[in-house]
Amino acid sequence: MSQNNGHASQSSDGFIVVDGNELSFREGETVLQAAQRAGIEIPTLCYDERLTPAGACRMCLVEVEGSRLMQPSCAYKASPGLVVRTQTPRVERNRQFILSLHLADNVQDRDEAEDNNPSRLHALAEDYGTLGAWPRVERQRQERPEDTNPFIEFRADRCIACSLCTRYCDQVEAVSAITLAGRGAHTTISTADRLSLTDTTCELCGGCIDVCPTGAMTEKQALAYGKPERELEKVRTTCNFCGVGCQLDLNVDRQANRVVKVTSPPPGTTVNDGNLCVKGRFANDFVHHEERLTDPLIRGEDGQLHPATWDEALDRVVQGLQGVAERHGDDALAFISSSRCTGEENYLFQKMARAAFRTQNVHQCAAT
Amino acid sequence: MTNSIPEIRDADFLFVTGSNTTEAHPIIAMEMKRAVGRGAKLAVADPRAIWLTEIADWHMQLKPGSDVWLLNAMAHVILEEGLESRDWIEANTENFDSVVETVKRYPPEEAEKVTGVPAETIRQVARAYATTPKAGIYYTLGITEHTTGTDNVYALSNLVLMTGHLGVRSAGMNPLRGQNNVQGANDAGATPVFYPGYQRAEDPAVRDKFSRAWGVEQNPNPGLNLNDMMKAMGDGRLRGLYLMGEDIVISEPNVERVEEALNHMEFVVVQDIFFNESCRWADVVLPAACFAEKDGVFTNSDRRVQRVRKGVEPPGQARADWQILAEVMRRSGLEQPDYQDPGEVYAELASLAPKFGGISYQRLDTEGGLQWPVETPDAPSTEFLHKGGVLRGKGLFQAVEYRPPFESADPEYPLVLSTGRTLYHYNAATQTRRSEGLSQKQPESFVEIHPGNAFKMGVEDGQLVDVVSRRGRVRCRAMVSRQVRRGSIWMPFHFPESKTNYLTTDAGDAVTGTGEYKVCAARIEPVLEDAPRQVFPGSYASARS
Ligand code: SF4
Ligand code: SF4
Ligand code: FES
Repeated sequence: MSQNNGHASQSSDGFIVVDGNELSFREGETVLQAAQRAGIEIPTLCYDERLTPAGACRMCLVEVEGSRLMQPSCAYKASPGLVVRTQTPRVERNRQFILSLHLADNVQDRDEAEDNNPSRLHALAEDYGTLGAWPRVERQRQERPEDTNPFIEFRADRCIACSLCTRYCDQVEAVSAITLAGRGAHTTISTADRLSLTDTTCELCGGCIDVCPTGAMTEKQALAYGKPERELEKVRTTCNFCGVGCQLDLNVDRQANRVVKVTSPPPGTTVNDGNLCVKGRFANDFVHHEERLTDPLIRGEDGQLHPATWDEALDRVVQGLQGVAERHGDDALAFISSSRCTGEENYLFQKMARAAFRTQNVHQCAAT
Repeated sequence: MTNSIPEIRDADFLFVTGSNTTEAHPIIAMEMKRAVGRGAKLAVADPRAIWLTEIADWHMQLKPGSDVWLLNAMAHVILEEGLESRDWIEANTENFDSVVETVKRYPPEEAEKVTGVPAETIRQVARAYATTPKAGIYYTLGITEHTTGTDNVYALSNLVLMTGHLGVRSAGMNPLRGQNNVQGANDAGATPVFYPGYQRAEDPAVRDKFSRAWGVEQNPNPGLNLNDMMKAMGDGRLRGLYLMGEDIVISEPNVERVEEALNHMEFVVVQDIFFNESCRWADVVLPAACFAEKDGVFTNSDRRVQRVRKGVEPPGQARADWQILAEVMRRSGLEQPDYQDPGEVYAELASLAPKFGGISYQRLDTEGGLQWPVETPDAPSTEFLHKGGVLRGKGLFQAVEYRPPFESADPEYPLVLSTGRTLYHYNAATQTRRSEGLSQKQPESFVEIHPGNAFKMGVEDGQLVDVVSRRGRVRCRAMVSRQVRRGSIWMPFHFPESKTNYLTTDAGDAVTGTGEYKVCAARIEPVLEDAPRQVFPGSYASARS
């Protein structure tokens, strides 16, 4: 079908054995991809199907027969006859070890960690367990508090240096605005000359927020709003800007009747493959803007527009249009609609022109 | 589009023309970047150096308005070198000979003189396009917003037809729609030429069908298109106007004439989410809900019908457009169903337009988007058109000759102005300019000018200037940049306080009436009593110069 991520052929190029199950794979696929397709779960932290694997987090290590060391399944290519085990005590212990290691260098408490975005790190720690709480590592990653960009906040104390954000920025958005800087426990995410994102090649797509597994990259405005994503309701809809038709999730605070932020659906599920641009993700201030029209207005004898009831306004519309038609004929009316309105609204609009006011003078404003 | 967006990444050759894709369609650009990352070849034909030209194998920096020359010269090369797809042409097309004759007169060496693109580049691109099976063409307003817009599209489609790059995954001809639901508005019949589903309004049988369906005899007089409407407002043929969701005072070319025409209207209704410029002429203003406050569908560039879902309630008394329209119709005395939700409206549309006959909210909710045509409830989504031949009969070659743009540079107006959109704003910017963040990134209007021209006119980067055309004068900042050709200038059209469309001409394409936003003659005058210069932070120019 069309909404997949471009895998046109379903053919198989051989079989591997994972936990005793024979799984088919296609040329070039990794052990992780073959396993995921078969519904075998291998936890990952630094993997994203849109990006080349970094093999950075070691969360996805599995045992591969014939290899003494465990191997990162996100980077290890499947080959015919390969035998893989994903559930041995050694594999499980490694996962707990990795999770403990990262948590020692992170916000410990899950609620606090998830003050805005959900944290895959904390979710995995709950699912797979840890080796107990380790002593807190002094935080050493450098921040960029002077970054005045309006949308994206980087919180170094939550970063696990998985490089998802920088790889996304390099490979998908292809502008390389952010990079890994420093070494070892000092590794952090920075920009050239530690500039504000708005002064770099950054296009404010927010993809770095979306891929971050810990909420280290986060939406400034939603953070200030102060309600975690898990308490918001996601409403799947279609972006109202360009003609790509990106699917996006409005994150809605029902009680307050507010769109708090916009997130993208997971990669591989929609036409935009998990990506959004700056307008789709961030240009939603207009929804709740104080200048929104809230009342029908009618021009009075004084030449000014005055608030009116719907009844008055709608009657006035009908009288006004019918009056013109009586004086000058039906074809003295013109109806201009907007490609910003829905299909149904455009349907009703042309029906209104053609059936209620009997003219073919109807066009949408963008003919292209 | 004949192809789907997800097919782009698998293309082996991309010909992008008149589309600043990274800014106007960033998500499609991501797919293009992905294809190039895989090794696909990229050719960009654009008067400006745009982001994509940095990763392109060829940048054909043609003079604005010389598209037909360039495209015909590419066809010339393909035919001269025998790279056309004879069998495919034979089986699927008509009128090939006319094009053979015409393009003989467009050799690349001559094209170089008119377009400024080196003949050798034209040859290379033509060869690469013709000989790569998965070769797609992507274009947008840069092709259509000309008096020769229709010719440009024919010239492109001649290339597609002679190479048979159609009906194949990742190969085809793909107009990228500028606005979210341009496709959907056309689909729904918001055009004087078509009833819903592209049923011709000039066809009496079609009008009969709708007369019966709606219970009102349909008016046989041909309707006016947008460009004609603007003129008819001026000469008194139109006296009443209903505007839904559009600000014609910002978005239409030759604003001054639009404003004057509005003065002649006896009755104007404006229905929108903000108090827009056109409201100044309104007798009634109706407050509408925005996309986050209503249900419905949008149809994107690749014919994909997708749901819009209500997340929040509209502010104050504002109502969804569909509710308002249903109510106006009811009060006008038209008998019609009492729609409870847009799903019922969609069902009515689908029942009258066979192309969408199989689409329902139920299917959209379970299957995600559906790409029309989907004629029956069990028909699948249509990923690409023209599979196994050209849709409905034969593809028609249309020979086109070069015609110069409506205006060209002259001693008084020595520069050629094109207009377009930027990444950070959207059309009249009623929405994007209300985002503090976006306004911070791109606070005000600017005009891009080549350093050579700037130097001659004594214009410095960041200085205030007046851009002047035969129709008007607009003040903004100069952005000195090698993105534009020498002799060309470029402005975005998003900013109400410097309305670019005071400058543009309303000379329209003969067929579509689309205004020539891409070419008009202009000059630049430095403003002397200037406030401090202000270079745009993070702009392409300041990042690179
Ligand atoms: S917002 Fe987009 S462009 Fe900017 S740093 Fe993040 S990924 Fe890169
Ligand atoms: S900011 Fe997030 S995505 Fe980027 S390296 Fe740190 S943890 Fe990974
Ligand atoms: S997911 Fe494989 S190493 Fe991180």
